[in-house]
Formats: sequence, structure tokens, C-alpha cells
Amino acid sequence: MADRAHFGVTERVRCLPQIGDHHHRAPGYVQGQVGEVVSVYPARPLPDAVVASGGRDMPAVPFYGVRFLARDLFGEGQHSVTVDLWETYLEKSG
Amino acid sequence: MRPHDLGGAEGFGPVDTAESDHAFSADWEARLFAMNVALRRRDAYTSDEFRDAIERLDPDTYYGSSYYERWLAAITTLLLDKGLVPPEAVEETAGG
Repeated sequence: MADRAHFGVTERVRCLPQIGDHHHRAPGYVQGQVGEVVSVYPARPLPDAVVASGGRDMPAVPFYGVRFLARDLFGEGQHSVTVDLWETYLEKSG
Repeated sequence: MRPHDLGGAEGFGPVDTAESDHAFSADWEARLFAMNVALRRRDAYTSDEFRDAIERLDPDTYYGSSYYERWLAAITTLLLDKGLVPPEAVEETAGG
């Protein structure tokens, strides 16, 4: 099933480096960065696909909370940053 | 990269954290907010399409506009794109 999650909690994933200039929900600062899956949410439609279809109901895609280290993203900081990302934006790391 | 994607960017000055007693700074903002609710309930467009329309503003317009000015531009774009209002109506309302 397309909406089955392929990643699990504690798994290391990389956000793809070039998501593109269309509408998507992956902030520039996580693109190309490696983080850890901390949540697996219910699958939901990919916003990119909803916009491309002109607002139609689209298939659900696995959806995760991914935790990154601030120093990886911004070169400094002792905190972490958790970003909600669709599986379409992610690949397995390492 | 689209103009909204500013996380980690520098050079935009301090964030305005001033508190206000009012949710809206002008009546037209409240009317626009209500209009967006009504249009969304009638499935005129999805929240993803609304975000996309805001992000598609050219950078000068995006950075030079207030929060609700961006909403107005985005909603106008969507209603025109979807043929829900004729271009003449927008021209007329905007004063030609």
C-alpha cells in the first residue's frame, strides 16, 4: 500500500537536497540534511500533489516528524528542530 | 526558492513582537478573513492552493506587503485562476 510508512522511529533519514520551486512543505534549511524520525503520523495527501491537481483529493502519503540538530542546520545552537515532512521528501540515510 | 522560505535567513531586521489588543489592524482585514472562511467552506480552493498562491507572489510584492495584503492578492489570484470571478469585476473593484 502506498500509504504504508517505510521509516520507523529512531531511523536516520535525509531530506532530499533539491525539492524544487513548486509548492511543497520542506523548508530550505532541512533540504539535504540528515535527521532522526521521532514521530510517524497518519498518512495524508502530499500538498505538492493537491496543488498540482487543482485542489482534488489526492492519495495519502506517509508523514513523519523528523528531528534535526540546530548546529547541523545553522552551524550553531545546542537545541534540536523537529520538522513535519512527507515521505516523498525523504530518503534513508547511511 | 520561493520568497516565503526565510528560515535561517539573515538581513530582514528584528521580528516585530509588539502586542496588540486587536486581531485586525483595519476592518477590511476582518472582512477578508471572513471571506476566506466562506470560500474555503464552499471548497473554492484548498489550504494548500491558498499557501501556493501566497508563495507565487513576486518577491517585491511579497516583501512589500502586509500579512493580509498577501491574503488579498492570493485570494484574488485564486478566484481569477478558477474562473469564479470575471477579470472585469476585479478591474472594476480596483478602480480600473
